Amino acid sequence: MADNIEAIQKSVKKYIAIGALLIFFSGLTVALSYIELPTHGLNILVGMILATIKAALVALIFMHLNHERSTIYKILAFTAVFAIVLFVLFVLSHDDPLTFSGFYSPVDR
Amino acid sequence: MSAAATTHDHAHDHAHDDHAHGHHQQNFVWKYIFSTDHKTIGMQYGLTGLIFLLFGFFLMLLMRWSIAYPGVPVPAIETIRALPAIGDLFEAMFGRWLNADGSLNGELYNMLGAMHGTIMVFFGIVPLGFAAFGNFVMPLQIGTIDMAFPRLNMMSYWFFFISCVLMMYSFFVGTGPVQTGWTMYSPLASTANIGVTSVWNHGHTWWLTAMVFNISASLLGSVNFIATIINLRTKGMTWMKMPFFCWAMFVTAFLLLLAFPPLEVAAILQLSDRVFGSSFYLPTGLMEGGKHLDISGGGSPLLYQHLFWFLAHPEVYVLILPAFAILTDIIPCNARRPLWGYKSMVYSVLTLGFLSFLVWAHHMYLTGMGTMMSTYFQITTVLISVPSVILLTCMMISLWGGSIRFNTQMLFASAFLPMFGIGGLTGLPLAFAFIDLALHDTYYVIGHFHYVVAPGTIFALFAGVYHWFPKITGRFMNDKLGKWHFWPSLVGMNLVFAPMFIQGMAGFHRRWYDGGKYFENTSGFTNWSTTLTHKIGAFFGFDIPDNMLSLNIVMSIGAFILALGQVPFIINFWFSIKGGKKTTSDNPWDATTMEWATPTPPPHGNFLFDPVAHRGPYEYSVPGHGTDFYPQWESEPGKPETNPAADKVLAHH
Amino acid sequence: MDIPYTVHARPDTGLYNAKIGIWLFLASEVMLFGGLFSAYIFLRVGADYPWPVHDLDVTLGFVNTVVLIASSVTVVMAWACLKMRKFGWYRINMAITVLCAAVFMINKTLEYKAKFAHYAVKLTDGTLLTGHLPHGYQIKFDGVTELSLSVPVKKSAVSADPVGYVLPFIEGDAPKFKTEDGQEITLDQATFASLAASAVEKAKAANKGSASIKLVAATPVKFAAKPSEIFGYTDTTITFRDGTTATGKLVDDKMTLEVDGVDARGVAQSEKSLAFDHRYLGEAWQKAFVSNRDHHISKFEKDYPTRDKSKSATLQKEALFFKLHSATPPAEGEAHGEKHGAEAHAPAEHGGGHGEAHHPTVVLEKKDITFFSNFTPKLNTYYAIYFTLTGLHGAHVVVGALVLLYFLVFDDKRLKKDPEHLANRVEVGGLFWHFVDLVWIFLFPLLYLL
Ligand code: HEM
Ligand SMILES: [Cu+2]
Repeated sequence: MADNIEAIQKSVKKYIAIGALLIFFSGLTVALSYIELPTHGLNILVGMILATIKAALVALIFMHLNHERSTIYKILAFTAVFAIVLFVLFVLSHDDPLTFSGFYSPVDR
Repeated sequence: MSAAATTHDHAHDHAHDDHAHGHHQQNFVWKYIFSTDHKTIGMQYGLTGLIFLLFGFFLMLLMRWSIAYPGVPVPAIETIRALPAIGDLFEAMFGRWLNADGSLNGELYNMLGAMHGTIMVFFGIVPLGFAAFGNFVMPLQIGTIDMAFPRLNMMSYWFFFISCVLMMYSFFVGTGPVQTGWTMYSPLASTANIGVTSVWNHGHTWWLTAMVFNISASLLGSVNFIATIINLRTKGMTWMKMPFFCWAMFVTAFLLLLAFPPLEVAAILQLSDRVFGSSFYLPTGLMEGGKHLDISGGGSPLLYQHLFWFLAHPEVYVLILPAFAILTDIIPCNARRPLWGYKSMVYSVLTLGFLSFLVWAHHMYLTGMGTMMSTYFQITTVLISVPSVILLTCMMISLWGGSIRFNTQMLFASAFLPMFGIGGLTGLPLAFAFIDLALHDTYYVIGHFHYVVAPGTIFALFAGVYHWFPKITGRFMNDKLGKWHFWPSLVGMNLVFAPMFIQGMAGFHRRWYDGGKYFENTSGFTNWSTTLTHKIGAFFGFDIPDNMLSLNIVMSIGAFILALGQVPFIINFWFSIKGGKKTTSDNPWDATTMEWATPTPPPHGNFLFDPVAHRGPYEYSVPGHGTDFYPQWESEPGKPETNPAADKVLAHH
Repeated sequence: MDIPYTVHARPDTGLYNAKIGIWLFLASEVMLFGGLFSAYIFLRVGADYPWPVHDLDVTLGFVNTVVLIASSVTVVMAWACLKMRKFGWYRINMAITVLCAAVFMINKTLEYKAKFAHYAVKLTDGTLLTGHLPHGYQIKFDGVTELSLSVPVKKSAVSADPVGYVLPFIEGDAPKFKTEDGQEITLDQATFASLAASAVEKAKAANKGSASIKLVAATPVKFAAKPSEIFGYTDTTITFRDGTTATGKLVDDKMTLEVDGVDARGVAQSEKSLAFDHRYLGEAWQKAFVSNRDHHISKFEKDYPTRDKSKSATLQKEALFFKLHSATPPAEGEAHGEKHGAEAHAPAEHGGGHGEAHHPTVVLEKKDITFFSNFTPKLNTYYAIYFTLTGLHGAHVVVGALVLLYFLVFDDKRLKKDPEHLANRVEVGGLFWHFVDLVWIFLFPLLYLL
């Protein structure tokens, strides 16, 4: 962790730069959402990729996850796995790739 | 409360810590009610949990009456009603729903059923197993002075207390408590009784609010447990020297931490459905009583089931892991043998914790979710039985070659093993969707999980009470009464739950308030068990008909025996606090884990010396060692650890 | 004796207690919002109606995004300043953070308020009308003389409570009532209680489960109530939430709506929507609708010749969700070329009911309405999850801001005495604050943009 004063002093500029970058990305997300890509699903994908980049910046820089202790990483890794399981299985439960229903049906939504 | 009172006196005998820290000028309220001491909080949780277990049990007795004798007035109902105070209370909570002749109806039965499940799981076993034993024992076993966040710990209890009050209050409101099962499935639970006067007139709204508090309490507790175990282990207490008890609590805390939030979501969304009229769980075109409801629709009941079971499967491990935790202390101690396969148990419990998040939808095979989901969940469910079996097997093998001391806690512990075995093995068939098709929502499922939690977890909890009682109060519980508690409990439990498998396979639905009386097929069906029942009844001069329904009577008799069996326990518990045989040593069971190194009862701050873990937690019958146990905290055989706590205080400044 | 590692890290884990605590708490928060987001996915994938896109006020949402990001920067700066022992800058940064939180919440309140005042009505053919109710919406009854009330013998959910559930809806002063024994009473809590008590006694004696009471009004009474305030009604009876039934005559249950949008996406032939019935918007608006629709369709065909029209949700919305911007239909060819519909809900437009009309007014008959609601969780699953997600997020903002404010104001004495400890606390509070920002980073695109 950035505990020595010098490292902190240096990171101050970084924080402001990251803040500006985040605002820029937010503007970009808004702008891109008004452009109609071939399917709306692509719009969602692009938006979510941008959001993930922003979230990663916040987590890594502001929340100091770029240099944290292994205990914290372990806790978060398990949490991430379970959260992803939650997302994926929820969708699979009424959208079944084996029977081509729901999300996997040929009809785009 | 006198257990706590002794704690306090003792603390001053030892006069270990008189420097001005503020928490010592506390009056009664701050010391015993709003205490931040992990032991007091543990006892608060424990007493509350025991009271709720008793209350939940009473609800079950009423249900069992209705199942065995549908339409027959509850015995002594007029006497109960005439009792001062209790009669009024009974009337306000249950009496007002009874039929005119004093018999139960489906409505009241549903209330009792839903509240029985809720109370046993969320207000009885978890508070007692995890919060009470965990709070009291875990910090002692890792050799620390308190939890990492004592004030959060207190808040946790008081959140829990608020949730208890709200949950009990729901008995008194207009429509009475919830009637939709402990699973609270929508859409029924989203719409039942809605539309009449205010939402606060529905027990359901109170149930959900209470659960939000209950969940918050669990979250605070689990954060505390994990942080304590990670950061406050004493010197020498490496992860692999930590008693399995603490490992099990650690995993349990993680289950609570990560699985409860989705239930909180489920509760919040259901609350929104009821209070704001949203349609999270309500499909388009939903009708009730032939009329379209005034809702937008577009939601899905499946969403509720996912969110609910995402918690509720890990929750069943929250129910069982504290039981394992307790047993892994009691079995080695009373078999005078090391715990067999400590390492494999640790890895198993970690695997179990991980897998338990990935199996939830085995409760939902019949919802019509996709085939791929179903396949996936069948596989994970079968997988998870592997670590469960490892845990059980290790404990069984730990008995091998031991010179077993059959005191009360060991009786309960050894009964746990086969009982949990039955429960676990009967779960396996349910893991397969094609078998579950026939057995889902039948008494078979009820039998399965009750074998795991009732003669399983609850026996372990009893064992724990007998085991740590001397540490808490300085007195033993009576062993004779203990045996009078154990044997009727064992017989009662099996009489109640074993016939459920038979009935379940015969197709008895789990929520019939009349036990199936009005279904001709069930009453006409006979097999060996019904014939046996009939013959035994005849032997004693009772005319029990030779059909499936007669098993209802057997089970209700079992429940009654079980109830009688608890009387010695209650007597034993309260009388032993003041009148039990005094302990002569701080380590009366000759155990090896650190909680036995503290004075009895442990004072505020716990240890009189700086505890160091010199060896593993289960050093029993070590070859060449003088005694048959070698405690974790002893630096040399038999040498008492004496450096005064004052040093320790200084060391930390 | 003190708990170890409250200020300094434990050597082998490298962490102080609160750091572990907050990350564990955040892990459970991840699961909380994870559960909510998976509910969002579940509802969206399974939605059987067009999922609203760009339906909220994007500008307001964007402003809030910027505000939250700014506060995230300032809170981490506050921590850094504290570590460098620049106490003045620490205070300034912290104050800005709390201020940002306040701005965020004010914006949120404005946004919610606008939503609550806006209504959507679903007609029997699937058309959805949006707009405002200038006079509210009330069911009106007249000529009511008789009230029949029922009081169960045992305590139960439904027990007559006319003072709480009937009298508030009487227009004008409540008249005197005559009981069955010919006694003339003024209906109030005490009178009714004694009346009910004696009726219950009689019912008990007769071995009945509930007592029924009949009251006759001295002069005929008028009732007016919102549908949500009563239990139900027919042409001749009105049932209140306490179970009391009044007999009289229904005089009005029509709904006056200032229409600002016609959403015909749920109608097979959009131009035949019930909204354009001669009783309602009529032919002129129908023409405007059709010309707008065809304009968008041909524009789409020109812009994206290879794409399938039926699959473009945006086209569906632009062509079939028609916004009304004036009281009378625009002249031919003027109606189209508007941007996306988000601005239709902007607070500035909420002049409804203030004399000059921005929108045409229709009087809807009850038989044509299947469902109506203001823009609250009841409206559809999108708004349900929108309010739940943003509401819970808002609660987190409030709690986080209060914690930071506490550090700033009440923990100031720690500044000189034990700045390292305060820095730890600010770091922990800051971690929570960043998490709140992180949730918003996903909320904003999912609810406002995509
Ligand atoms: C050892 C492996 C286990 C397997 C394979 C297993 C499998 C299952 C399955 C498939 C069901 C769903 C049955 C249905 O609803 O149709 C079920 C229900 C249940 N199980 Fe288990 N189980 C196991 C262990 C446990 C344990 C250890 C506990 C508790 C401590 C437990 C508690 C429950 C409960 C409470 C239910 C019923 C919930 C309800 O529907 O109300 N199970 N089990
Ligand atoms: Cu399960």
